[in-house]
Amino acid sequence: MMTGDTIAAIATALGEGGIATIRISGPQALLVADRVFYCLGPPPSQRPAQTFAWGHMHDLERQIDDGIMLIMHAPHSYTREDVVELQCHGGLIIPRQVLRAVLQAGARMAEPGEFTYRAFINGRLDLVQAESVNDLIRARSDRAVRVAKEYKNGRFSKQFREFYDHLLSIASDLEASLAFHEDELPQTVLPDILNQLELIELKIFDFLKNWQNGHYVREGISLVIAGRPNVGKSSLMNALLGKDRVIVSHQPGTTRDVIEEFFIVDGMYTRLFDTAGLRNAECAAEEDGIRRAYDVLRKADIVIYVVDASNVIQNEDIIIIKSLPTKRCLLVLNKVDLGCLVSNPLLNDFRTIETSALLSVGIKEVVREISILVSNFVQLNSFPETIITDRHWIILSETRKILNDGISVLRSSGDQVIAANFVRLAINSIGNLLGRDTTDDVLSSVFSKFCIGK
Amino acid sequence: MKHFDLIIVGAGHAGCEAALASARMGLHTGLICLDRNAVAKMSCNPSIGGMAKSHVVYELDILGGEMARNADFTSIQFRVLNTSKGPSVRSTRVQSDKAAYSKRMISIINNVTNLVIVEGEVSGFFCKSDAINGVFFKDGREFECKAAVVTSGTFLEGCVFIGGCKFPCGRFGDRRSYSLVSWLNNNGFKMARYKTGTPPRLHKKSINSTVMEMQNGLLTPCFFSSVADELFNLNEKIDHYNKAAMFHVEHFTDCMMPWSLGSGQIPCFLTKTTGQTSKIISDNLGSSALYSGVISGTSVRYCPSIEDKVVKFCNQSNHHVFVEPEGRDSVEIYPNGTSNSLPEDVQHRMIHSIPGLENALFLRPGYAIEYNMIDPTQLTSYLESKKISGLFFAGQINGTTGYEEAAGQGFVAGVNAARKIQGKSPVIFNRLSSYLGVMIDDLVTKGVNEPYRLFTSRSERRLFIRQDNAKYRMSQFSSEIGLRNKNFISSIEKERALINKEMQRLGCCLSGSGQTLAQILKRPEIRYTNLPEIDSSLSPKVIEQVELNIKYDGYLEREMREVARLDNLEAVQIPDAFNYDGISSLRIEAREKLTRIQPNTLGQARRIPGITPADIAMVRIWLHREESLRS
Repeated sequence: MMTGDTIAAIATALGEGGIATIRISGPQALLVADRVFYCLGPPPSQRPAQTFAWGHMHDLERQIDDGIMLIMHAPHSYTREDVVELQCHGGLIIPRQVLRAVLQAGARMAEPGEFTYRAFINGRLDLVQAESVNDLIRARSDRAVRVAKEYKNGRFSKQFREFYDHLLSIASDLEASLAFHEDELPQTVLPDILNQLELIELKIFDFLKNWQNGHYVREGISLVIAGRPNVGKSSLMNALLGKDRVIVSHQPGTTRDVIEEFFIVDGMYTRLFDTAGLRNAECAAEEDGIRRAYDVLRKADIVIYVVDASNVIQNEDIIIIKSLPTKRCLLVLNKVDLGCLVSNPLLNDFRTIETSALLSVGIKEVVREISILVSNFVQLNSFPETIITDRHWIILSETRKILNDGISVLRSSGDQVIAANFVRLAINSIGNLLGRDTTDDVLSSVFSKFCIGK
Repeated sequence: MKHFDLIIVGAGHAGCEAALASARMGLHTGLICLDRNAVAKMSCNPSIGGMAKSHVVYELDILGGEMARNADFTSIQFRVLNTSKGPSVRSTRVQSDKAAYSKRMISIINNVTNLVIVEGEVSGFFCKSDAINGVFFKDGREFECKAAVVTSGTFLEGCVFIGGCKFPCGRFGDRRSYSLVSWLNNNGFKMARYKTGTPPRLHKKSINSTVMEMQNGLLTPCFFSSVADELFNLNEKIDHYNKAAMFHVEHFTDCMMPWSLGSGQIPCFLTKTTGQTSKIISDNLGSSALYSGVISGTSVRYCPSIEDKVVKFCNQSNHHVFVEPEGRDSVEIYPNGTSNSLPEDVQHRMIHSIPGLENALFLRPGYAIEYNMIDPTQLTSYLESKKISGLFFAGQINGTTGYEEAAGQGFVAGVNAARKIQGKSPVIFNRLSSYLGVMIDDLVTKGVNEPYRLFTSRSERRLFIRQDNAKYRMSQFSSEIGLRNKNFISSIEKERALINKEMQRLGCCLSGSGQTLAQILKRPEIRYTNLPEIDSSLSPKVIEQVELNIKYDGYLEREMREVARLDNLEAVQIPDAFNYDGISSLRIEAREKLTRIQPNTLGQARRIPGITPADIAMVRIWLHREESLRS
């Protein structure tokens, strides 16, 4: 642990409560807040102490949530440093997204007990409390260590190991060429290094992109509302969002484009897609809309298939329902206010809810069912582990950035030592995660690969 | 009873630096060795410097060590390695005349007042309340002393192996030292056996160099010494002779004199082993001392024996052999790359299978040597034993390999032993500003599990720790130690001021394009001389520093940011003999490690393998607590 840099963490218990607090502490706290919190009037760093402001929290790409920001200036805070607290919606996902944005903006993830540690170092706590601070750090780090150990056996660790080994092999090539004279090196090692660096950069990029949990967290879960025309899809969407977002009419085929909105289920950022009704289109625009609807349907994480309960089930419905994955699908029997005529053994395979979107009947049940479906395939881990996951994500993103810097140095035929230093930074960041002594590993690798040294 | 201030046990590269530093600091110093003619011997390869090692030689030179000058004076070939790979890994290597190297060092030692060479075998030390106050010999002699530096190299219980034969030797043909081992054992020093090796020596006239690739030195010599201009009257001589005639090295017969013109540099040659060589080695592995299990010591991975090369890299059909002369007038040839412990007849066949060496005449066989070393984590950052006050260790006994590593430690141990006697605080070299610091910190913090050799990759700040800026990095330390004269230090400070001033000017001065000159200089293709407004009064050395500092600026800053974490903790001192048992919540493993290593700073504590950030936080809290309780 060190003091002097800026740290951040989720200060409230994760997954519980309607509101979560992300605490940022350190000399850069206000600048970090400038980068993630947008509000009317001056940016956070220009505001006085004890500011209480409403605004939006952003990461580099998108808005995450709206909420409250509190500013405390040193030494009038728990840690006696500049502190910014961001309050956002609670749950499992939003607070982590905000934290991630804060980390991207330059803060470092706080170590277990680090806020209290700083409070002590800066004289906030008295000596009598020293022992309890120790115990706190001990207890938390033990837990973190335990979780990290469990984590080591997981598939992420295997992936990290692979990245590490690949980087190790590149690093040892570079280091060998620096540590030994050309005469001594048995083969030409350098030309391949640039290719290898590009390859590992791409691998990490793909991994980040495909990392499912991370993907859901960053991109949100895509939830598609589908069904034949005029079964009340748009009404259901409006009911879920609690606002009139989509034009509804009795005219079948009103929704021609795919409409996207977001809402939050259990703190999980969810992208809700309303689609054109699925039928044989009557015009080109509608046909295009239906094609896109099928497109979105195929890529959906969760499908809400809406059926008109007041009519007997149609053949088209049966064909589509048969193609849907039961574990990721919810059947909504809408318009129950007009009676319920639907019955088919096929429906027994699915979770079904009866609703009247128009009268807001059964909407809460739909939300509850969605959260059950989400939990089926998104592993929302308990507190310390999720934090470690986030750290891994940050570390890999940084590693990628560093590798790109190294690649551009090599491309512009710059100093090999500088390129080697970038590779070393990259390997260190992953090595630290795996608890490796990278200097030693690199040297070992050099001497197992090359027959050098007189 | 005879009295010395400081006793140095062993007169190799570590011992000589320790003895000279101490004597030059005004202390009455005794340099004890088994043979007064075997001082500063280059027991293995005939060169000084090379990757990362040359950095230490330059650092030593600024501090007032002797190795740089001695190598310059006795060089028979100068080379700069890695010229194309960036200034921070550029390194000087000189081939030295082995006999001249040793002879000149003996002359220097004999001409320093306060310094006496004493022959004999040390058996142990007298201690009074865990502090050194004397030394006793195997033959019964006893001297009083206030401190001692042990630099036993490979001599402590040394054992030479050639095939199935085993000889108790400190070096081939030289008597080993034995009796000190039991004293160290009895006093609780943790020891281990390490192994190293050396190639055979061949007769120059029996070698056919026409089939080998010739490797020449640089026409303009690159000296280690920072005052080579003065030492060798370079400026004057360049006026009189064209550059092609430049060389250097005084004649063997008068090695105290500056070099004079007339003798050129001597080339090395390169050849390669053949498939036949590999076959001979693999067929005879069973009789190799290394592979038959006779040797138990840990060997140098960084200096593999030819058996190792053939076994571990069986796909590689041939291996380089550098044919290096051992001196200007010497008939001995060092076939670098053929270190082995095979039986002598196998060695003959093996060497004869190499092109150009078919008729090579053996002067001495190659051999492996096993010796005792101590676990260096028993030492402080200034190489003093934590257990026995006034007892210092340096060189190969601390688990390192290489002349330069030994000399560096010898100097640090000698200076600090002398300072201890003078009542001054120790000089500790920081790993962020020198390879000396990197090496010693690695040794005493992490310990060693195989012979330790320096590499640039061991430093976190290798863009900054370069051989070209050694004087600017070391001048503060040098001034504190006081072995270089004040004019020399102040000339460095003057240069530093010039460099800073010029960097500032370039940072402010705008060019026509609206960029500062510094921004323009950052472009890879731009040199200082390409800039529109240059200061023509600046020396090439100053310009080089200005250029490098500006070009590296962003990267150096980044390097510094990476180590900022270290630096921050580096500033937090831990008092001597800090009681870790008092910290109840500290893990037992951490308590045990910290108690054993006794780190000086939190930064050092953090580098101990197995110590976690949480451990560091707890120690820090306790340090705060103790401090507050005191005040």
